[in-house]
Amino acid sequence: MQHEVPVSSKAATQKNFRSKCRKTWLYIKHHPTMYLMLLPGLFFLFIYKLLPLYGIQIAFRDYNIFLGDNPIDAIAKSDWIGLKYFQRLFSSSQFFKVLRNTLVISCLKIIFLFPLPIICAILLNEVHKKVYHRIVQTVIYIPYFFSWVLIYGVFYTIVSSYGVINTIITSLGFERINFLTDPGNFLGLIVFTEGWKETGYNTIIYLASITSIDTTLYDAAKVDGANKWKQIWHITLPGLLPTIVLMLILRIGNILNAGFEQILVFYNPAVYNTADIIDTYVYRIGLGQMDFSLSSAMSLFNSVVAFILIVGANTISKKLLHRSIW
Amino acid sequence: MNKRHYKFKPDKQRSDHSERTVRIIAYVFLTVLCFLVILPCLNVISEAVSPGTDVLGGHVFFWPTGLQFENIRYILTGTSFLHSMFNSLIVTIFGTLISVLTTIGTAYPLSRPDFRGRTIITFLYVFSMIFFGGMIPAYMVVKTLGLIDTYAGIILPFAIVQFNMFMMKNYFEALPPEVIESACVDGAGDLKIVSSIVCPMSKPVIATITLLYAVGYWNNYFHAMLYTTSTKMQTLQVYLKNLIANIQDTLAESVGSTGYSQNLTSDGLTASAVTMSIIPIVLLYPFIARYLVSGITIGSVKG
Repeated sequence: MQHEVPVSSKAATQKNFRSKCRKTWLYIKHHPTMYLMLLPGLFFLFIYKLLPLYGIQIAFRDYNIFLGDNPIDAIAKSDWIGLKYFQRLFSSSQFFKVLRNTLVISCLKIIFLFPLPIICAILLNEVHKKVYHRIVQTVIYIPYFFSWVLIYGVFYTIVSSYGVINTIITSLGFERINFLTDPGNFLGLIVFTEGWKETGYNTIIYLASITSIDTTLYDAAKVDGANKWKQIWHITLPGLLPTIVLMLILRIGNILNAGFEQILVFYNPAVYNTADIIDTYVYRIGLGQMDFSLSSAMSLFNSVVAFILIVGANTISKKLLHRSIW
Repeated sequence: MNKRHYKFKPDKQRSDHSERTVRIIAYVFLTVLCFLVILPCLNVISEAVSPGTDVLGGHVFFWPTGLQFENIRYILTGTSFLHSMFNSLIVTIFGTLISVLTTIGTAYPLSRPDFRGRTIITFLYVFSMIFFGGMIPAYMVVKTLGLIDTYAGIILPFAIVQFNMFMMKNYFEALPPEVIESACVDGAGDLKIVSSIVCPMSKPVIATITLLYAVGYWNNYFHAMLYTTSTKMQTLQVYLKNLIANIQDTLAESVGSTGYSQNLTSDGLTASAVTMSIIPIVLLYPFIARYLVSGITIGSVKG
């Protein structure tokens, strides 16, 4: 192959191309069902994932939903306006507030919640009573199956002004706290409920990774006189490190995702100043106030930055761990 | 032998000591964690069934102070709880069925190394996974198709979740290729290979994907809220959110329809609706949990 190219490269590539076409044609002829199988998925992909990409241009147009026969038709009939909405967006204080809130909430979640499942998994691994092990795993895992609305319902009852938390607080002599409307406490509630829902699930990821550590390492360490702390520090943690790094890269790649559905369910106008994140803002001004173009500009900014972050995360993961996210 | 054993004893004792400390810390930490999960649920259930005076007086903690079912009865009979649960069931059952079939149908061709068009189609799925068109255009598509307030409107946008598809594709790729090749040589068609060879060999991943889709459909709030406008079409999550948001109205209606009762309280009604929504999950949980555990392992190993 390599020798043929210099002789007559054009003819060779042409021949190559034709044989490739022939091969493809033969494949399609022999395996038509393969393509039939793909059709439903491709149909949904096209309609729900690729067609919306066409709608991105709303951010560059003065979109008016009533111009066309339907919302999609109206896109092409609206006037091009260039970067006007981006200028409006980047000069508004709202934009920076929402971006800041998103990053603050994401960072709080990473700082407080990222280490938690690692600690859980390491400690759970030290428990050798099978029944207890099973009970803990089962119990901490349940909230993963609860929807955000359900979790909101549970905590709404608990933190309501006559709920159990406030009863305890007042009996200790403090004032009642309204967790849902006080900005600082609201963020605490958001971080806590996220931990409540996700810790069990993530613990099991780390636990699966711990079980793949070679147990003879521990026996060898015991013979060398290493105590339990040293075994955890020198064997368990290094064994977990690839998983920890992968999860951290993924989490940071997703930093713009501060938990849309959770905040949408939990928040209210009293905490917009600290809890309004990019996604809730896009939803509120876009589908709430019908300011489609501004909302789409914000959304596009979000998608582009998120795309760069995720591709960056994948590149780092490939280099560092030789594992691609997709 | 005896001598050696003796020689190591001091070391062993020291390591036993640290082992005990770690174990005590583990038991305390994990037990506290379990209580943090259980206590909120117990509190909600207790609020639902305790007498109204105790609920209002803040005397209910983690165990019912008495038993009354007026709140739960009103939630079940006086509100659209059962109807929204029915909607959720429809969405979950049909959605999961469509999703799993679509996902298998997509993952299998893309997992075959000789499949023509594999690169470009895989790229489309990857790209659409990492670049999001935005919720406004997505909403417009559903609106243009006239799917607002239909089951299809809630289900079809999630008919294929790329992440699940890639998990399944990775699993298919790891199957022994000889089995599929020998079936090819025997003249089996592609559909036959998928249905009678690939699927039976991939039961764990199919179970996991089924569960992931089902949980996704059941728990989805935002899209179910966005794509429905009538009470008739609302799913359980939308119902629950609306109930909590308008709990004072619900309380007034409940008093209006069943007559005044001390036991009917806003906290009691909220807690009852939440409790009734938790029960199906807790009942099904033992049957489904182990599939998700195996699913996490599949997902984390294959990335």
